Amino acid sequence: MRLKEAIEQWTHDEVLEAAADALDIPPSLYEEAKVRYRSIGNWLDRENSSLTGYDPRISPQGSFLLGTVIRPLTEADEYDIDLVCRLEATKQAFSQKELKDAVGTELKLYVKANNMNNPLEEGRRCWILNYANSARFHMDVLPALPDAATYRRKLIEAGSWPGTIGDLVDSALAITDNTLPKYETRTDDWPVSNPFGYAEWFRSRMAGQLDRLLTERQRLTASVDPIPHDQVKTPLQRAVQLLKRHRDSMFADAPEDKPISIIITTLAARAYQNEHSLSAALRTLLTNMDKFIENRNGVTWVVNPANPMENFADKWKEAPQRQKNFNAWLEQANRDFGAYISGSAARSVPDILRKRLGESLVSSLLGVAAPAVRTNTGSNLARAHAEVKVINEQGGAKSKPWAMRNDARKG
Amino acid sequence: MLKSVESALGFTQPQLVAELRDQHVQVKGTYLLKRADGRADSDGPISEYKIEIFVPVGYPRAEPRLYEVGGRIPRQPDRHVNVGDGSCCVTVWENWLACAQDTSFSAYMSGPVHEYFLGQFIVENGGQWPFGERAHYLEGMEEAYADALKGEMPIQDVRYALRLLTREWPKGHWLCPCGSGLKVRQCHRDELMNLHNRIHPWLARQMQHRLGPKKQPK
Repeated sequence: MRLKEAIEQWTHDEVLEAAADALDIPPSLYEEAKVRYRSIGNWLDRENSSLTGYDPRISPQGSFLLGTVIRPLTEADEYDIDLVCRLEATKQAFSQKELKDAVGTELKLYVKANNMNNPLEEGRRCWILNYANSARFHMDVLPALPDAATYRRKLIEAGSWPGTIGDLVDSALAITDNTLPKYETRTDDWPVSNPFGYAEWFRSRMAGQLDRLLTERQRLTASVDPIPHDQVKTPLQRAVQLLKRHRDSMFADAPEDKPISIIITTLAARAYQNEHSLSAALRTLLTNMDKFIENRNGVTWVVNPANPMENFADKWKEAPQRQKNFNAWLEQANRDFGAYISGSAARSVPDILRKRLGESLVSSLLGVAAPAVRTNTGSNLARAHAEVKVINEQGGAKSKPWAMRNDARKG
Repeated sequence: MLKSVESALGFTQPQLVAELRDQHVQVKGTYLLKRADGRADSDGPISEYKIEIFVPVGYPRAEPRLYEVGGRIPRQPDRHVNVGDGSCCVTVWENWLACAQDTSFSAYMSGPVHEYFLGQFIVENGGQWPFGERAHYLEGMEEAYADALKGEMPIQDVRYALRLLTREWPKGHWLCPCGSGLKVRQCHRDELMNLHNRIHPWLARQMQHRLGPKKQPK
């Protein structure tokens, strides 16, 4: 996004949107990632694939699906693209290991067929495809089976059905985990996950703004076809991108300690009130997101809105430092974004926020640090009178100043 | 207390820092005079004041002490600064407690403190107090308490009305504070009950204590 030529016309929203845009994955890389994961899908579903009979589907999950991907902090780091490989099969047909291996076999053939230098890597739950350095990303492929029935049953057993889940349960998945004791056994007892249900919930939190932006884009492009969701970004998505970058920067020296993205994203989405303005959204998120952290019988919960049995903050109990890190991050983010939105002119991004977002990024948008320009007294006086008018229109002042003698202060 | 003060400041007043000290929370730094609705203003804050606030642990029953420490506001009653200790007389505390829907620290900052410094800025630049001002000293306090009590019913004698309100339950056989000469139960019984629900006995006692007995003419 290009800022207006006249610096004095900038608004906080324009600067923040430009910053978030600059943090986003470049469109060329985004398209390249789509081409590559579609090619994986085509490979798994090719005529002589061992998986053809199971209608394999490759879909993005995580930040790629939510539209909240941000550039890595350094040029040396890679984008982490999370994918789900969903087969139409039941747990009677596979053990967890059998499913994992079935997908792994085809992925190894894919690596060989495409002359990829880096071998396929196995993770606890997924396979990791490492592309050449020039690609700047790797892909985590999570093998999964549809399992809405088990998901629903577990929710009923836990007393969480129907709750607020409703239709989100339909996209639930059974996934594999090679650390579990029943990994190699044909059993009904698999771990569950619901990344598509989560994405649907996230989208519902910003539905108003998403509809508005898509309609606007359609009008501007005079398109007769529906605009794909990934062509627009709502204030919620932009805010999450800015918050994640702030978090990455704050924990640059100790990335293993940083608050995890799913917690920030979930709390932000819960706090979001469909604000049109990005600065207003940041204000709402930062001043309210901690209200959605629950205390259940002494245990801190950040509940997964698509799975009420899942606590994203489950590690906080065994590692209390993680909760302290989250609180420290939130306090700092409040001050750093507040210093700009509450405390500065739009054209003067404070040093601390420049540092958090990336000095080079901000400088490329705004130029070098602009000196704090004071508006003249006359215009500030006019603004003060305008503020008085607003207060009077909203029911009048809550107080009147007074003065007392030394001995009149009692109590 | 510290947490509620910090959460009231963090984003909206990022240059103020709160620390817990003994029996109070101390807030120090630069107060930014800006839009109270929190919306970003492209030109930044209207003005800045260096301040300190001592927030007692008994807040809101106990009033915070606010000081402008940048030397910008003259220490004189006409600028609503107490000559004795230099504290800012933001408002008559019990009037605000009686009339405000929200008496959180956040509401204090966005209400009385905001209005006080808005007024100071306008007066500093040659204007009048935008929301009016109270008379000084006891007269201003009486005026503020009378304002706090009115609304539900007319009040003839503030001190008498406060005596009634310090009771846990308004007495029906007492004379009505409207000055009609009738007993409460024959006059403004329901209105007095509504007033009692708004001004709790502890607040009425605090007002009564500060007001003291009526000074007899010499």
